[in-house]
Amino acid sequence: MSMACRKVYIASASMIRVSRYFTKSYKELAFDVVDEISRNLSNDGLNNIDYVIVSNVFSDSMLDQLDISTILTQELGLTPKPALRIETGESSGLAAIAHAYALIKSGLASSVLVIGVEKSSEYPTTAINKHLTKLLDYEVESIYDFALVNEAAFLMKEYMERYRYSREDLSSWSVKMHSNAVRNPYAQLKFTVTKEQVVNSQVLSDPLRLLDSFPIGDGAAAILLTSNDGLISNSDYVEIEAVFQATALPLNLRDNILELPATKLLFSRLVKECKVDINDAVLEIHDSYSILGYLIIEELGLVRRGKAPEVINDLNNVNLSGGLKARGHPIGATGVYQVAEIFKILTEGLGDVRRNVTWGLAHSMSALDLNSAVVVVRRCR
Amino acid sequence: MVGGVSVGIISWGAYIPRFRIKVSDIARLWGFDQLLVKSLNIEEKAVANVDEDATTMGWYAARSAIMRAGINVGELGAIFLGTESKPYAVKPSATIIGDALGLPNKKLASDMEFACRAAGEGIRISIGLVSSGMIKYSLVVGSDTAQANPGDVLELTAASGAAAYIIGPKDEGVAYFEGSYTYTSDTPDFWRRDGSPYPLHGEVFTDEPAYFNHIVNSVKGLMSELGLRPEDFDYAIFHQPNGRFPLRVGAELGFPKDKILPGLVNPWIGNTYNASALLGLAKVLEEAKPGQRILLATFGSGAGSDSFSIVTTDKLLTRVNNALKVTDMLNNKIYIGYDAYAKYRKLLERI
Repeated sequence: MSMACRKVYIASASMIRVSRYFTKSYKELAFDVVDEISRNLSNDGLNNIDYVIVSNVFSDSMLDQLDISTILTQELGLTPKPALRIETGESSGLAAIAHAYALIKSGLASSVLVIGVEKSSEYPTTAINKHLTKLLDYEVESIYDFALVNEAAFLMKEYMERYRYSREDLSSWSVKMHSNAVRNPYAQLKFTVTKEQVVNSQVLSDPLRLLDSFPIGDGAAAILLTSNDGLISNSDYVEIEAVFQATALPLNLRDNILELPATKLLFSRLVKECKVDINDAVLEIHDSYSILGYLIIEELGLVRRGKAPEVINDLNNVNLSGGLKARGHPIGATGVYQVAEIFKILTEGLGDVRRNVTWGLAHSMSALDLNSAVVVVRRCR
Repeated sequence: MVGGVSVGIISWGAYIPRFRIKVSDIARLWGFDQLLVKSLNIEEKAVANVDEDATTMGWYAARSAIMRAGINVGELGAIFLGTESKPYAVKPSATIIGDALGLPNKKLASDMEFACRAAGEGIRISIGLVSSGMIKYSLVVGSDTAQANPGDVLELTAASGAAAYIIGPKDEGVAYFEGSYTYTSDTPDFWRRDGSPYPLHGEVFTDEPAYFNHIVNSVKGLMSELGLRPEDFDYAIFHQPNGRFPLRVGAELGFPKDKILPGLVNPWIGNTYNASALLGLAKVLEEAKPGQRILLATFGSGAGSDSFSIVTTDKLLTRVNNALKVTDMLNNKIYIGYDAYAKYRKLLERI
């Protein structure tokens, strides 16, 4: 078989509910998801893997741990498998999958275990926010205490002014995400909210409020990627069709702050190279702040610029998990959650949520589209 | 001590400083959202004067307890001071209060530290001392001038106050203990390192794993040992870090709001730490009738909770008016601004 034709399948995926795990360490969270993968496979399934890739952002700043992939590989009993940590900020999860995909595609590996794990609940919010701010350019932005939430608030203000929306108009995203999350067994915020609750919640950075933002939570998710179709047990299975990554200049160097340049590039390649039919797809997109949800679906071409807030109620295939807004955003693990959720929605179901569509699309970005990625999967049978 | 019931509450005393600061004033100064203030369900907090501390306030509450009891101080065989704001790191403060009140030298005396529940443990220890016959009466004082880092969310609630209880033979009591239960674990939700002027806390970690877990287990343990249900109690008093938690933990345990509200004092004085639940009990004793059953559950970070089932007796009515009541002190107040508060609580460092 020539390298170019090697297929990359998702053999198995597992998650724990995003939450604050006060009595468990990151090792135990990772163990729980890897153990489930192991049980999903037939005998000695995990022995067949060639590589362990760990997606994690804050291990050195919050857990005092460098080289977390080695420590986890030891803990999981997977030595002497090679191990690697991937970190590209908030998009680390998809970057890890991109790397696993490349290893398999190139023939350097045939099965790769990708683990996304993040444990932030050891620290108070001020410390977590301080570390999150490091995702921006420290010498230009972070040093002035300029944070992600401030940038998102800028976009929100500009969006409201340019397209003449009220604050309440921009609450539809959060309402929809919370209602989706209620059906997702792995979601952190499993409760509905009203527009009134959103506009009356605490101000984080005017006009952005608490219920426009992702919650802080711990999480772990794992997926097993393989070119070996013998590891696939379901009759419905999922193949990774393509992975795209791109970077962009910071907000202060952009001509139009309501466009997401890296994401725009990824979506154009998606259409050109994969011929993905968005209407025959489920999507998980990076809505860390509600305003980004609107901008991303506009960038995707699902709706004309400036019109997103009007169509949210009709979105039936976007962020069925509840998105970062309500499923939660365990930073380094989030991308792995997105792909695991899509895998379940296309196969056995995410809770009772299933969709009989061909495509699955996971989109993730760090900060405001600084380092972004899209993973495209296709359902086969 | 379940089984050998022989110990009661002889009397109680309270002290709430007159100064009050509106929590909304503190929130405005630091830029806290007023929604946060609303969610805490605390209107104002009591502020001790510049010359008050845990010993002076504790002394006042203890003196009231002695006046209300009408006992001879020579018969007090122990004094325990539960506080996390004692003026000396090394050297007891309980002895200061003891000598100021004229307690005999032949007595046990120590300061106890377990965040906000030290005085609660003092009561349990006293039950043991009295029921064993080692001493006749014990004086337990909970007193705090709670510290909070200026600008921290804790500053919205940390307040000053004191409560004192005399524990002695059941047949002399205004109430007696049916049972008690303690639940502790190493849960670092709130702490102050040696030498640090202000405590730190773990935000939401102080919530479920700490306050709720310990109180719920302590109260369930007590009710299960005594075979009691929430319906069997006329009042329920829980430690009061804010105005919301006691109602929430009560609901979780099955206690309706109307049994909790009579003992909920912190919306008007803030969190008085070691005096918090004990001032709530004092207020309930002032309005309870003989033969009523009261649940008291303390909580201290770090973490632990003591719960007590207390039944009032006929003697309650003969002693209730012998000293100043909590309700008198709740109504006797002078409002101050953040400037006076900063001065009285020594927030301005001078050399």
